Amino acid sequence: MIATIEAILLTASGPVSVAALGEVLESREVDADGIRDALSTIASKWNRPDSGIRLEKVADGWRCFTPPELDSYLRSFHGVVARQRLSQAALEVLAIVAHRQPVTLPEVNFLRGANSASTVRTLLERRLLRMAGRKKVVGKPFLYRTSREFLVHFGLDRPEDLPDPEDLVRDEAIASE
Amino acid sequence: MLHESSRGLARSSEFITADSDRFSGGTGENVYSRPMTMPAEELHSPPVELTVFSGPLDLLLHLIRKNEVSIYDIPIFSICDQYNAHLRSMQELDLDVAGEFLWMASWLLHLKSKMLLPAVAEGEDDPREELVERLLAYRRVKELASFLYDIDTVRRCLWMPELATDLEESAELELDWEDVDLRVLAETYLQVMQRFAAAHPPPLQVLPLRYNVQEKMRNIYDRVHEEGLMPLLRHLNSRSDPEEVATVMVATLELVRLRGVLAEQSRPFAEIYLRPGDRRLTANEMRDEEHSSD
Repeated sequence: MIATIEAILLTASGPVSVAALGEVLESREVDADGIRDALSTIASKWNRPDSGIRLEKVADGWRCFTPPELDSYLRSFHGVVARQRLSQAALEVLAIVAHRQPVTLPEVNFLRGANSASTVRTLLERRLLRMAGRKKVVGKPFLYRTSREFLVHFGLDRPEDLPDPEDLVRDEAIASE
Repeated sequence: MLHESSRGLARSSEFITADSDRFSGGTGENVYSRPMTMPAEELHSPPVELTVFSGPLDLLLHLIRKNEVSIYDIPIFSICDQYNAHLRSMQELDLDVAGEFLWMASWLLHLKSKMLLPAVAEGEDDPREELVERLLAYRRVKELASFLYDIDTVRRCLWMPELATDLEESAELELDWEDVDLRVLAETYLQVMQRFAAAHPPPLQVLPLRYNVQEKMRNIYDRVHEEGLMPLLRHLNSRSDPEEVATVMVATLELVRLRGVLAEQSRPFAEIYLRPGDRRLTANEMRDEEHSSD
């Protein structure tokens, strides 16, 4: 069973949920706990310094990835020179949407004190944000939410796993005292 | 684990208190710690690249931190002056961006004027209250953004399996409700419409003829009989519209067939001369012939 799960994880293009694994492994008569045990066995096998594959729980599923320190080798192998970083504006928009979703563009603009339309468009194209209907107010502005890709990219299981910004600020205050 | 380490980095950064660097902590390439040399004692500071500030609130927070003043008790007078000094130092303004900064400048001026009024001294609502709230809200956004930045620094270096495309196409794509949003729907709709348009090209349109063979026959016939000789190729070359050329050609052939005109050519590719033929054609004949050939 471990071999099967490993194979699925290695070929899946996104996080694999325990439920999805359960469906595939139906014939083996394993329950969710059995699968979770197998996953933690795999995790202890993979998550070691001498392993090139890691396992993590993200976006309500399990996903394998390569450790960050191997990035430079992988980039030179795949011929990727450099990846574009998220701009400060993009990070701020993501922070606002992640914390207050669903949220409209005017609300984002107000909080940032700056026009964010083009940033939101870029983030939609990068699929870090998604549209989630329209707000029932005058003008019916679009509502935005963070996407599954956002969770995967930032290694979050659920959007609620982001720290409360109030806590972050409070930490600052404590640290500075 | 990631959480812990990035929290640690964020903790070392500082907001309100004295700190000339924005976000002193964190990794070396942190956006927030891009070169920002600004001697604290210099009030009218050297030009600062405005692009490093993501907006007017960002610049304002920076000034507050630089001046080591409390966010709850902003010295509007000096902050307003410094803010405007920054604005002046922006040599070339991107109008879109500048508008936001100017809006803040006008707000600060407004507050400055309000602070001069005695009402403040008598303990009415502090006019700065709204600004403070905006700044606090923005500071939370920035804090979360820097948190995300730290995660991004590490996690952008992760690689994950990618399905071979043929494998992905062969499988019926299953979409999570989570993944479907209005944008995806709209994109899909446009794709469908494009496919439809490709499969249903607009029908060929037959436009009414702009030139009339009978008319051309009469023109040529008259001209040949008037002038006695007409160079056909030169006439055709002087027409720019291919449709007219074709009409003239048909008209000429028709006239030759009716022996109303004669065509002569001394050698291949030489000029074709039209002369009066051995029959005189009536206007009626030219029209009738055209009709019968329909």
